[in-house]
Amino acid sequence: MRTIFRAPALGLAACLALTACGGGTPADTPAAQAPTTAPAEDAATATLTIWADQKRSETLKPFAEAFAKENGIKAEVVAVAQNQQQTFVTASQAGKGPDVLVGAHDWIGNLVQNGLIDPIQLTEDQLSGYVDVARKAVTYDGQVYGIPYAVENLALFRNTDLAPKAPQTFDELVETGKKLKEAGRVEEILGYTISQQDGQSGDTYHMYPLYTSGGGYLFGTKPNGDPDPADLGVGTPESIAAFEKVAALGEKGAGALKRSFTSDNSAALFADGKTAFLVAGPWRLADVRTAGVKYDVTPVPPFKGGDPARSFVGVQAFFVASKGQNKALAQEFVTNTLATPEVAQALFDAEPRMPALKTALAYAAGKDPDVAKFEAAAADGVPLPAIPQMVAVWGPFNTLIHAVVKGEPVAPAVKAAGKAIAEQLGQTG
Amino acid sequence: MTMLQTPARRRRAGTGAPPPRTRNWPGSASGVAGRVLALGLILGIAVWAAVPLVSSGAWTGVAITAVATGIALYAYLSPRRLPAKYLLPTTFLLVAFQVFPVLYTMSLALTNIGDGHLGSKQEAITAIETSSVRREAGSAEFRLTVAERDGALVFLLADPATRATYAGTPDGLRPLDGAVPGPGGRIAAADGYTVLTGAQAAARSAEITALTVPVDGGAIRSQGLTRAYQGKAVLAYDAGCDCVTGEGRIWRSDETQGRFVAADGHALPQGWQVGVGLANLTAALTNPKINAHFAGVFAWNLVYAVGVVVLTAALGVAAALVLHHRRMRGVRAYRTLIVLPYAMPAFAMLLVWRDMFNTDFGLINRLLGLHTDWLGTPLTARLSVLLVQLWLGFPYMFLVATGALQTIPDEYLEAAEVDGASPWQRFRQVTLPLLLLALAPLLVSSFAFNFNNFNGVFLVTSGGPFPSDNPTVGATDLLITYTFRLAFGQQGAEYGLAAAMSIYVYLIVAVISIIGFRRTRAFKEVT
Amino acid sequence: MRALAWRHAAAVLITAFAVLPIVFVVSAALNPIGTLSSTNLVPRGAGFGNLSRLVEETHFWTWYRNSIVVSGLTAALAVAVSALSAYAFSRFRFPGRRAGLVSLLVIQAFPQFLAIVPLYVIFSAISDNWPAFGLNSVWGVVLLYIGGQVGVNTWLIKGFFDSIPRELDDAMRIDGCTHTQAFLRVVLPLAAPVLAISGLLVFIATINEFLIASVFLTGDDARTLAVGLFGLLADQRNANFGMFAVGTLLTAIPTVLVFQFLQRYIVHGLTAGAVKG
Repeated sequence: MRTIFRAPALGLAACLALTACGGGTPADTPAAQAPTTAPAEDAATATLTIWADQKRSETLKPFAEAFAKENGIKAEVVAVAQNQQQTFVTASQAGKGPDVLVGAHDWIGNLVQNGLIDPIQLTEDQLSGYVDVARKAVTYDGQVYGIPYAVENLALFRNTDLAPKAPQTFDELVETGKKLKEAGRVEEILGYTISQQDGQSGDTYHMYPLYTSGGGYLFGTKPNGDPDPADLGVGTPESIAAFEKVAALGEKGAGALKRSFTSDNSAALFADGKTAFLVAGPWRLADVRTAGVKYDVTPVPPFKGGDPARSFVGVQAFFVASKGQNKALAQEFVTNTLATPEVAQALFDAEPRMPALKTALAYAAGKDPDVAKFEAAAADGVPLPAIPQMVAVWGPFNTLIHAVVKGEPVAPAVKAAGKAIAEQLGQTG
Repeated sequence: MTMLQTPARRRRAGTGAPPPRTRNWPGSASGVAGRVLALGLILGIAVWAAVPLVSSGAWTGVAITAVATGIALYAYLSPRRLPAKYLLPTTFLLVAFQVFPVLYTMSLALTNIGDGHLGSKQEAITAIETSSVRREAGSAEFRLTVAERDGALVFLLADPATRATYAGTPDGLRPLDGAVPGPGGRIAAADGYTVLTGAQAAARSAEITALTVPVDGGAIRSQGLTRAYQGKAVLAYDAGCDCVTGEGRIWRSDETQGRFVAADGHALPQGWQVGVGLANLTAALTNPKINAHFAGVFAWNLVYAVGVVVLTAALGVAAALVLHHRRMRGVRAYRTLIVLPYAMPAFAMLLVWRDMFNTDFGLINRLLGLHTDWLGTPLTARLSVLLVQLWLGFPYMFLVATGALQTIPDEYLEAAEVDGASPWQRFRQVTLPLLLLALAPLLVSSFAFNFNNFNGVFLVTSGGPFPSDNPTVGATDLLITYTFRLAFGQQGAEYGLAAAMSIYVYLIVAVISIIGFRRTRAFKEVT
Repeated sequence: MRALAWRHAAAVLITAFAVLPIVFVVSAALNPIGTLSSTNLVPRGAGFGNLSRLVEETHFWTWYRNSIVVSGLTAALAVAVSALSAYAFSRFRFPGRRAGLVSLLVIQAFPQFLAIVPLYVIFSAISDNWPAFGLNSVWGVVLLYIGGQVGVNTWLIKGFFDSIPRELDDAMRIDGCTHTQAFLRVVLPLAAPVLAISGLLVFIATINEFLIASVFLTGDDARTLAVGLFGLLADQRNANFGMFAVGTLLTAIPTVLVFQFLQRYIVHGLTAGAVKG
C-alpha cells in the first residue's frame, strides 16, 4: 500500500522535473505503473480483516496476529468507531467488508435478511460450553450465526452505606430512596436511565425490566424460540397496566423516574453518592469502583406482587461475513481461535463483561465477585430480540416511555405506540 | 487520440468565442513553458489513471479517462484565453463527487433498495441456500485436512469417534488407508496427497468453502480449515419454477416485491432489489405520515435558518459595537474570550450543550435556578437549538463586524453628528448599512449552511421532541434530519424512499438557492 | 464614565455566555470519573488521568495528524480550485456563464452525506483501481470534501473578485502580462482576505465533519479526530466523556492557530474591501 501512496506524487514530481528539460511523457510511464504491481503482491498473501469496536480491536489484535503467523497470512484488525452495523452493511454490499465482524447479537436478523452473515456449524458439545442465554441469543431461525463471547444485562447497584439492605421489591426500593431523600442524604430516589443519550427519546433497553415486571411483553414467542412479530404485546391491556405502574413512579407520580436521567448522569449521581440506587450494567463497574463508593449488586427487584423484572440480555458475538474474501480462514479463526477460553479471558481482563463461555465465566467469577452477581441478575433475563422487525419497535416504544414518564395519559399513549408499531410492521413486512 | 485534432481544426477555422480583448496575446516563452508543463502533468495523470483501468479491463473507465484527458488537453494547450482553463478542476470535482452521486441517488429512488433488498436476486438465492444448510443432528464432526491431488482439492477427513479416515472429493467419500495421524486428531499426511500449507489454503479459500462432498442424506462441508461437518441445505432454488422449495413448502419469486413469497403470504427474509417505478416518489407525497408534516417541517426549517442568521449577526454586531470605543479597556482580553466558541470543535460542543439543557442536572437550570424541560417541549426545544447555534455562530460575525467597524471612517460619523443625528440615527444610517455591506456575503452563506445544518439539530435534539403518535417527525426536525432518519434511522434503512424524499428536499433547496441568487444580484446592482 | 461601565457590563455578559460552556468542558476534562457529571462546574477532584488515558489507550495523535492533514489539504486545495473558477466567472464573459453559476449553487445544494450509498459505490470502484485515493485513504476523502466545498466557495470568492476593479488587471495585460499573470499577481493578492475566510470556513467545516469520515475512514491509521472522538461516545451505555472532553479541548488548538495565522489577512482585507465598497 505504501508504494501506491507515493505513486501520484512521484508521477507529478517526474513530470515537473522532466518537462523543464523539454522531456515529457515517456518517463512518466514507469512511475505510473507502480500501482499495478502492488495489488498483485497483496493478492498473493491473503489478508484476514476483522472489524471490531475500539476496545475489542485492541484485545483481539495479538490473537489475530498469532493466527496470521501460524497460517502464513496477514491479519488486520480495524476499529470501526460508530454505526458499525450500518457501515458493515454498506461496505459488505460493495464488496469491501471484513471477513470477521465483532458485534451485538441483535444485529443478526438484519444481517441475515441482507444475506451478509453465514451460519456457524457447531456440535452440541461445543454449544453446551456456552451459558444458555448466550446460546439462545445467537440462534436465529434455528441456526447459530455467531460465536458469543460476552453477556451483559442490567442489575441494581446499591450504595451499602446509604441502604445496607437489598430491597426485595421495586416499591420497597422507591420507599427507601424517598426516605433517604427526605432525610437529605441523597438528591434523587434512584438513578434509572429513562432517556437515550440524546435526551429526546426513552430507552427501551432500560425500561424493559419494569415493563415485564408490570406484566407487559413486546412480542410473543414462536415454537422455534424466536420472537413472533405476529403477536405484538404493545397496546394490550397488560401493557397498559404495566405502564400505569411506571407512570405512578414518573414525574407526576412518585418522582422516582424522570426523563432527565440518562445512562451517563444517573451513573454520575450514584458515583457522587447523590443517590443510593442505580440500575445499570457491568459497563458501569469501572466508574463506580473509581469513585470509591461502597456498593453491592443484586437483581433488579420486581414490583410488589408483579412478574419477575426481566432484563434484556445483550450478547456480544463474532460473526463470519458471507461476502468476505477469505471465508474458510474466517470460519477457522472464529470457531477455533476466537472460541477459546484464552480469548474470552483476555476480553474479560480488558473490560469486566460476563464471559459467555462457561470455563471463562468460572475464571472471571474467581477473579471478580461481581461477575457472579450479574450472572444471578441475568437468571430471569431474555435475549434482546434479534428479529429485523425490532426496528419497528424502538422508535414508538422509546417515544411511549417519554410520554408515560412525563405523565401523559397512559392508555392512549400505549395504544398509539401499539398502532405505530403495527403500521411499521405492516410496511416492513 | 482523435480528440487532439479538434483544437487544431477549430483554431484554423477561427471559431469559438474568445472575448475581443485578447488582441494583446503574448506568445511569450513563459506561456510556452506553461503549456509544456500542463501537457506533462495532464498526460502523466492520465497514464497513471488509465493503467489500472486497462489492466482490469474497465473500458468504460478508460473511455471516461480518455474524454476527460482530451478536454483537459484541449483547454490547456490552446493558447487562447479560455475560461475552461479555470473552470475544469471545479467541473471535474463537481461531476465526480456531486453530480454523479445526485443522479445515482435519483436512480435509487426508482427501486426498493433498503434493508433486505440490497443486492441482486442471485445474491439473495445464494444467501437463502447458504443460510439454510443445517448440520445433521448428532452427526460426526470430522477433523479436516485440506489437501490436493493433481491440482484438485481433496478433504482428508478423520472421524475422532471411530478413528476412521476418509478422502472427500466432489465425487463422494472414499475410505483412506495409510493416513498419518497428526496433532488434534487431524491427518498430517497421506500417500498421493499434498497437504496444503496455511497460506496455500488461504489462497484457495473460496474453493474450500465451495467444495461439498456428497454423502447419503446430505453433504460434508468445511467449517474453517480444520473441521468439517455433515449437513444438508434445507432450501433450494429451482430455476424451472423460479421458486425456492424445501420443508414441504414453495416460495415463489415475486418480482414486484423482490422476495420469495409462499402461498400463505410468508416471505423469505432475504430479498433483492427491484424497480418500483414512481412508487417511492408518490409515497413521499401521498403517505399521510410524511406529507401531513412536511409543511410544518419546512416552515420551521426556514424559521431556523433565518433565525440563526439574524440572531448571530445581531449579537455579533452588538458585541463588536460594545467593544468599539476609544476609551474601552481590556478589549483584547474580551475579544480573545468571545472568539473561543468559534475555535471549539462544533460537533463536540453540540453534545456538551445537549447535556447542559438537561432538566434536573443540566448546567443551565442549575445556574438559573429553573426547572425548565428545555428539550422536552416543542417551543423550548426550538429556542434551545437556536441558542446553541447562536453560541456557535456569533463569534464569527463578531470578528467580521469588528474588522468592518474599524474601517468606517470617523469623518462619516462626525459629519452625521454635526448634522445633529442622534447616536441611534448615526448607527441606523451610517454604521449599519456599511456593516451590512461587509457582512452580506457571510449572511448569505450562513443561511445556506444553516438551512441544511444537520449537526446543529441532530446532535442536540435528534429532531425531537416527538409527538407520541408519530415518532418519525419531531418539533425541531429540519428537512435534512428528517430525511436522514428516514434513510438510516430507527425504521431500518429504506434508501429508496429516502432517495425520493431527498429529491424533494433538494428541489426545495434548489429553488430557494435560485431565488437567493436573484436577490443577491439585485443587491449587487444597488451597491 | 457611566457609558463605559455599561459597556463593560454588556461585555462581561457576552463573554460569560461565550466562555461558560467551555469552562464546563474543562471541568469534565479534569474529572477523574469518565462521565459528564452534568451537575457541577467544579469537578470532583482534578487530574490529568483522562489525558493520559486518551493518549495511551487510543490513537489520538494519529487522529490528530489525520485531521490536520485532511482539513489543511482540503482548505488549501478547495480555496485554490474555487479561486480559479471564481476568476473565470468574475472576469470572463462566455456562453453558459449564468447557467454555470446557477448550477453551481443548485448542485451544491445536495448534501453529500445523503448520497452515502452512491458515494460508497464510487469509492469502492476507486479503491479497486487507485487505492491511494480509495477507502481509508485521506486523499480520497480530501477530494470528496473539495467536491462538496467548491461550489459555495466559488460564489464567496467570486463576489469579492467582482469588487476588485477590472481596470487593474486590464492594466497589467496592457503591460504585456498574460491573463494568468494578471490573475496571480493582481487579483489573488488583493483577494487574500476572502481566500483566508474561505480557507478558515473550509478548515472548520472539515475538521468537524464526521458522517462521511466515519464511513470512509474506518482504519486505525486513517481516522480523523471527529470520528475518533465520536468513537469514545459510540457506546450508548458506556460513553467516556472525560476523555472526550480532553480531546475536544485539544482539537480546538489547530483551529485557533489557523485562525491566528489568517486573522491579519482577514482584518486587513476587510479594511481594503470596505474602502473599495
